[in-house]
Amino acid sequence: MNEQEKVETSEAPQGWFYQPANIRLLIIGLVVACLAAVGAQFLYTDDHPHFDVEKWYGFQAGFGFAAFVVVVMLGKILRIFVARPEDYYDS
Amino acid sequence: MIHSLPPGTIMIVGGLLIPLIWRNAQSAMALILTIGSLAMFLLTPSGEYGQIELFGQSLVLVRIDSLSRIFGIIFHIAAIVSAIYALHLKDAKQHVAGMVYAGGAIGACCAGDLITLFFFWELTAISSVFLVWASNTERSYRSGIRYLLIQVGSGVLLLSGAIVRYVETGSIRFDLLVEPGASMSIGTLLIFLAFGIKCAFPLLHNWLQDAYPEATVTGAVFLSAFTTKLAIYSLARGFAGTESLIWIGCAMTLFPILFAVIENDLRRVLAYSLNNQLGFMVVGIGIGTELAINGAAAHAFCHILYKALLFMSMGAVLYRVGTVKATELGGLYKSMPWTTVFCMIGAGSIAGFPLLSGFISKSMIITAAAEEHMLLVWIVLLIASAGVMEHSGIKIPFFAFFSHDSGKRPKEAPWNMLLAMGIAAAFCVGLGIGYPWLYKLLPWQAGYEPYTWPHVVTQLQLLLFAALAFVVLMLSGLYPAELRKINLDTDWIYRRLLPRMVGRIGQWIRQVDALVRQTVMRGLKALLEYLGDRFSERGILGGTWTTGVMAVWATILLCLCLLLNYL
Repeated sequence: MNEQEKVETSEAPQGWFYQPANIRLLIIGLVVACLAAVGAQFLYTDDHPHFDVEKWYGFQAGFGFAAFVVVVMLGKILRIFVARPEDYYDS
Repeated sequence: MIHSLPPGTIMIVGGLLIPLIWRNAQSAMALILTIGSLAMFLLTPSGEYGQIELFGQSLVLVRIDSLSRIFGIIFHIAAIVSAIYALHLKDAKQHVAGMVYAGGAIGACCAGDLITLFFFWELTAISSVFLVWASNTERSYRSGIRYLLIQVGSGVLLLSGAIVRYVETGSIRFDLLVEPGASMSIGTLLIFLAFGIKCAFPLLHNWLQDAYPEATVTGAVFLSAFTTKLAIYSLARGFAGTESLIWIGCAMTLFPILFAVIENDLRRVLAYSLNNQLGFMVVGIGIGTELAINGAAAHAFCHILYKALLFMSMGAVLYRVGTVKATELGGLYKSMPWTTVFCMIGAGSIAGFPLLSGFISKSMIITAAAEEHMLLVWIVLLIASAGVMEHSGIKIPFFAFFSHDSGKRPKEAPWNMLLAMGIAAAFCVGLGIGYPWLYKLLPWQAGYEPYTWPHVVTQLQLLLFAALAFVVLMLSGLYPAELRKINLDTDWIYRRLLPRMVGRIGQWIRQVDALVRQTVMRGLKALLEYLGDRFSERGILGGTWTTGVMAVWATILLCLCLLLNYL
């Protein structure tokens, strides 16, 4: 691109998001939020579930986790068949 | 009289005049045009205007009802935001293309008949390709050609369908084209295919991922808003309740997420993500209930804003760094904090976090599927929601702004880009909280409340555990590394397979041609040699005879004549 300025570069990978302690803090925060989201299901009763699975505690939690993993793994498998060098169409 | 002009005309006509004005004022002129057009659109009451007779048919140039209104409004907002984003740009060609394209899309969503729709349909196709070509690279030129062929092809199908439908029904009005449950006539099927191409149905989709990432920084923002959502509008108008759309939409929500997981070009990831989001809307149109159609319209509205926001943030990165390849990026949050925040708001919106816009629109479609007790569709949409969290909620902001530090410290995006992103982000938050305003614009008055305990909690469970899965996969090293690779998609068929097949067929034709020529030449040669022998000096026909032989033969002939005379 013609528009970009000369990009300055810095070798030092420093910053709040690169400190191991902070990364740990973020992960702990996420785990706590996950537990809270599952725990919150005990605070109410869904009077109008459309499907039986909606009555299971933590159904969408487990589903979200599993679906994410399956999607990523299927993507990895897909890559075996479709990945090509960047200049594939140029050659 | 003024109402008879299709909405968007100001942008089309004014846009064409942009090259005539002072270069530094061209981008401001584009912005003024979009705002003026919006004001005119809002002042035009609902109804039908601009009826003209053509070849015995009544064309309705302008038809504004609740469905046209909501798409017209969001198209205008998208045009304004895109124009602000392009304020720094000094390229008349792109300003003209952007204005004509956006104006054409607005005109199309207010067209009352299929012929007027066709006119604007093709106008959007032809004008938008300049946003791809404006990148001025060989790759963008070739991609633009493919894009143009496919888009114009869609228009040709639409016109053919309109003509066949006229023969079938005697009408060219653009209303519901097929009743739910009824089978499609040939004309209707052609129109359905035309819409399907523009909507990037599975196997007809790859023009989207091919062309959009090749467009300019600002062009991609325009492109993300109009073409495909015009197709969504058209499907909602003409094919609401067509059951096949449910399954087409389900496929659309699923397959792009796998490609998005492994794609390195982040604007191409967004193109796959766009395809996946269209799937949600197509499912809603296929279900066809009031809630589902409302959901599709609301989702289109919210989607245009957060998708434009994501394209703007990646555009800002491309503008400053020169690439949006995940392998080249990382750690940009340090020097581009505002862009990072806006990108994360867009990512949160598309993922469907409560208090952001995606939550209040996507949930309408998922609830509509649940209310119709479509368990399989509901499950598919949940998987797709987890997929959205992966490719747009996490992958885009994570690999661009965090991840491994690339060491690059580009300047923050220009002020106008930040302003445009800020407006889009404000809409994402505003719609997430002030959703009743959007719901009032929807085609149907359907009472729907997104913020119920079960809905908020289960949605948070889905998203947070999906995020947890990302953390687990990253820490365990199972998450696929970004690679400097491209991925083959259906465009391989017409970029590689067909040219090769045509090349091979050409080779066969050349071989057969050579064989036929050789055989014919040999035959001719043999014939000529034979004739040459016969007519040569020594040949029976060409040789000279002695006087005696001639005299004998002349005598014989004379005798024969005499005999014949007496017989």
